[in-house]
Amino acid sequence: MGKVIRFRLNGRPVSIYVENNELLLNVLREKLGVMSPKYGCGIGECGACTVLLDGEPVLSCLTLAVEVDGKDVVTAEGLARDSDLDVVQRAFIEEGAIQCGYCIPGFILVAKKLLEENPEPDEDFIREYIRGNLCRCTGYVNIVRAIKRAAEELKFHVGKNK
Amino acid sequence: MGSVASSSLKQEGFRYIGKRTPRKDGVAKVTGQMRYAYDIYLPGMLYGRILKSPYPHARIKSIDVSEAEKMGAVVITFKDVPKKKFNIRLVSADRVNYKDWEVLTDHPKYVGDYVAAVAAETEELAQKAVEAIKIEWEVFEPLLDPFESMKDGRPKIHDKILFGSKEITVKNNVACRLDYSEGDVEKAFKEADVVIERTFKTNRRYHMQLEPKVAVAKPEPDGGITVWTTTQTIHNTRILISQVFDIPMSKVNVKKLPIGGSFGSSIQTNLVTLVAVALALKAGRPVKIALSREEDMYEHSSYQMYFRLKVAARKDGTILAGELENIMDIGGHQIQAYPLLGCLLGWFVSLYKWKNIKYKGIAVYTNKVPACAFRGYGNPQITWAVESVIDELAEALGIDPIELRLKNYVGRGDLFWGQGPTVKSIVKSDGVPELLKKGAELIGWYNRPRSGEQKGRFRRGIGLGRGFHTSGAGGRISGEVIDFTGCILKINEDGSVDYITALQDHGGGSLDAHAKIIAEELGVPLEKINIIWADTQTTVYDVCTHASRGTYVGGEAARRAAREVKKKLLEYAVRLLGDVVNPEALSIKPDEELGQGVIYVEGMPDKKITVGEVAREAWQRNWGSIAAVVSYRATNSPPAYTVYFVEVEVDTETGRVRPVRVVAGADVGTVINPDLAAGQLHGGFVQGWGMAVLEDTPYDPETGELMCRGFITDYKITTAQDLPKIDDFTVIFASTHEPTGPFGAKGLGEAALNPVAGAVANAIYNAIGVRFYELPITPEKILKALKERGVK
Repeated sequence: MGKVIRFRLNGRPVSIYVENNELLLNVLREKLGVMSPKYGCGIGECGACTVLLDGEPVLSCLTLAVEVDGKDVVTAEGLARDSDLDVVQRAFIEEGAIQCGYCIPGFILVAKKLLEENPEPDEDFIREYIRGNLCRCTGYVNIVRAIKRAAEELKFHVGKNK
Repeated sequence: MGSVASSSLKQEGFRYIGKRTPRKDGVAKVTGQMRYAYDIYLPGMLYGRILKSPYPHARIKSIDVSEAEKMGAVVITFKDVPKKKFNIRLVSADRVNYKDWEVLTDHPKYVGDYVAAVAAETEELAQKAVEAIKIEWEVFEPLLDPFESMKDGRPKIHDKILFGSKEITVKNNVACRLDYSEGDVEKAFKEADVVIERTFKTNRRYHMQLEPKVAVAKPEPDGGITVWTTTQTIHNTRILISQVFDIPMSKVNVKKLPIGGSFGSSIQTNLVTLVAVALALKAGRPVKIALSREEDMYEHSSYQMYFRLKVAARKDGTILAGELENIMDIGGHQIQAYPLLGCLLGWFVSLYKWKNIKYKGIAVYTNKVPACAFRGYGNPQITWAVESVIDELAEALGIDPIELRLKNYVGRGDLFWGQGPTVKSIVKSDGVPELLKKGAELIGWYNRPRSGEQKGRFRRGIGLGRGFHTSGAGGRISGEVIDFTGCILKINEDGSVDYITALQDHGGGSLDAHAKIIAEELGVPLEKINIIWADTQTTVYDVCTHASRGTYVGGEAARRAAREVKKKLLEYAVRLLGDVVNPEALSIKPDEELGQGVIYVEGMPDKKITVGEVAREAWQRNWGSIAAVVSYRATNSPPAYTVYFVEVEVDTETGRVRPVRVVAGADVGTVINPDLAAGQLHGGFVQGWGMAVLEDTPYDPETGELMCRGFITDYKITTAQDLPKIDDFTVIFASTHEPTGPFGAKGLGEAALNPVAGAVANAIYNAIGVRFYELPITPEKILKALKERGVK
C-alpha cells in the first residue's frame, strides 16, 4: 500500500510513488539518488541522515516519506547555488572541519538552521545546538570553529548589503 | 587558528608543506557528492542479509533453508562456502598468521557469528527469508571471562586452527602467547628503593565509526568479481578473496572508496565482504550487504586487557625494572592477537628505559565479539597503565612527574622497538622535552593543587600523560609484518599530474599530505595534482593504512615518484631549451599566475619553459610518457611523541567528570597539514576521553549478548556539548625534523590518542586523590570510591 507524493527536493518538484511504511532516508537515497543523507544508526541517535523539511532539521531515518507530501526538502546537495558553495559549506572546508566526511552533510544542515535562528551564536549555543549530531573524527573543535566563521561571514555580508 | 601555537611550526622555505590549504575532497564532502560504499547501488543488484548466531557458543545440528528458497531468495550456509580456515587480516607474514575464520560456520563462537546468508530482490524480502531459515542448535555454556576461559575442562571455543600452513590444537582456549625477558628483574626489585605493583583492567570499546560495514560484489563475465567495500586495504582484500574462493588475482578487482571512519576496524577484510562475494557468485548477480548499526556493533571491539605491572626505581628516580603480565580477551577469533602480543611489548619497552624487563602475554579466546585494532593497537591501554604507575612512582619518590619522565623516557639515540621485537630502530628526532616544557607552562603545571587536599563539591585537577606511536611498521629486516607501499605518478599531456595509489585515506588527510609533498618536490602548483580513486587492477601494492604510516611511508613513496618524474621532465626540458648543458642546470618552481610549474635556468629568468609545454612536446614529438612507478619499503618507523596535559573537574555529588582544559602536544616532525594535524589531536583527545570515562561494551552473563544490544542509545560517545571550549583546547607542535621522513615528517593518527586516558586518570587523581585501576572511570565508580574513603 502506498501513494504518489509530490514535494520539492532541493528546489525541484518531485513526484514519486512510495509505500506507506517507506522511510524518507531510503526514498531519497534509493529512488531519487540523493546520497548526502547517510545511514548511521537508523534510530535517530547520530544525526547523519539529517535533512531540512520546510527549513527544520529532521532525521530522515525516522521520517516516513508520505509525511513530506506537499513540503520542501533540502539536502546538502541543494545548498550550493550554481557552482558557488554556501557560506557554511565553505567555512567547513576553510576551517579543516572535515575528516572522513560521513557526518558532515548533517552538520551543515543543522548549522544552516542554527544560524537562521541565531545569527550571532556564542560557543555554548553552538555546542548545545549540534549535540544531536555525532562525529567520531574531529572532536568537534573545527566544526564549532567553522560555524562561528560562517556566522561572522554572514554578518559581514549583511553589513555590506546595507 | 587561535588555539594552534603555530609559532613552533618550523616550515619556512616550503611552498606547500605546512601551509593551510583546503583539502582536495572538501567540495565533494560538503556537497554530499562523495560516494562511500554505502552509496553504491548497481543495476540489477540483489540485497543480502546475514543469519547470525543468537547464541554465544553453539553448534548447528540441522539447518533447513527450504522456506527461504521458496520465497525466491538465494541462500548460502556453511555447506556452500569453501572449506578452509584463514585469517581475515593479511598484514602479518603468512608463516606467523593464525587462521581460525570461516566464511560461514556451523560452530558459532559469539552472538553475531555468521552462519548463513541470503540475497533477494529487496532488503525486506531478504530479511524475511533470513527469518524463515530453521536451525536446530546444540548450545554450550558461554565463556565471557578470559580467566574462566583458560581453566581446565571448559568448552573448547576452537579446537584445530592453522598457524601458517601448519595445523595446531588450541589448549585451554589460549589463542597464542609470548614471553620475553632481558636482564634480571628479580634482582632489580631486590636492589630498588621503591617497588610498585598494580593490576589494571581496560574496557572493551566499540569503534563507532560513522559508516557501518558495507560490501557490494559484482560477478564478472570472465568468472571474476568486482568489489566495493569498507576497507583500509584494497590489496589485502583482493588477495584474501582470491585465496578463499580460488579466483586468480587478476580477476578480482577491489575499488578504493572513501570510508566513513574506521579507526582500525577495517584493517581486516570484514567477513561481510566475503559473504557478499559468495552470494554474488551463487546468484550470478551483484549483491549488496549493508550492515545495520546494531549488527556493526557485533563486528568488532577493542582488545580488553588485564595487566599486572610491577616497576622499580632508585631513590634518585632511575628506573631499574619493569615487569608486565598481559592477559588479553580477544573474543571468538584471532585477527591480530599474536602480533599484538609483540607490539604490546614493543609499546611497553619503548615508553621508558626499564633496563630489566620481563613480559608474559597471553591471548585468550572468549565467546565475545572478536577484538581488533582500535586506534593505537593496544598502545592506549598500556600507556594508561604505565602513565598511572609512573605518577605513583613520582609521588613515592617525591620527584616531579615531568622530571621523572624526562629522566627515563626512550628518546633520541635510544633503541626504539615500535611495532614489536622484529622492528627496531634508533630514535633520530625527539621533541619530548620541548613539549613537556611548553605544555607545563600553558596548563600551569607548577600551580596545580596537591592531590586529595581539595574541598567542596567541584574539584579540579591537572594530569599529564605522555606517549608515542610509530610511523608505520617498517624496519631494516623483513621481520613478521608486511609493510611496503607504492604509487604511480604521471604528468599528463597538459602538465597536470595524476597521482595513483592504493593507499587509503580515512579522512585524516594522508593523501592531501602526499599531494603537497609531490607539489613541493616537483615544483608544480598544488591544484595541478589530482588524486585518483583507483582500484587494485590499476595500482601497485600498499599493505594497509594503519600503524600511522600514511604520511610517513606513503608520503616518502610519493616524494620518490616525484623525484623520478622530475628527472625525466628536466631531461626533456634540456632538449627543448637547446643550449642548456644538462638537467642539473635546471630548476622548477610553481608559477601561481600561469598555474604551471616553470622550468628555468638560475640567474637567467628568460631561459624557461613550463611543465605543460614539456609534457605537450613530449607527446607531440613521440618522446613518450613522463611517469614513474615506485614501490617503497621504509627502513625506520620513528616514534611520533605526544604529550597531553588535561584539567578536569569532578562533581563529587554526581561523580561526573568534565574536561576543563586540554593542552595537546605532538612531535610529528615537519607538520604538513596544520589544520588536519590539529584535527587528529582534537579527535584523538575525544576518543581517549571516551576511553577514560565513558565507553564500554559489557555482556549479559546469561545470554552472552551485548548489554546495549548494539544500540548506540546505550553506547554513548562524547558529543560537542561535553567538551572544553575552543580556546581551552590548545595544540602545540614540536619544532623537530625527522631525517628519515618525507620533508622531515612523521606519523600522528594513533599517537594523538595514546596518552589521553593516562592524562585523564592522573588528572582525576590530582582532583580527588583517588586512583582507578579499571576503565572507564564512570560516575558510579567515582561515587563508590569517594564513599568508601569517606570523602566529603
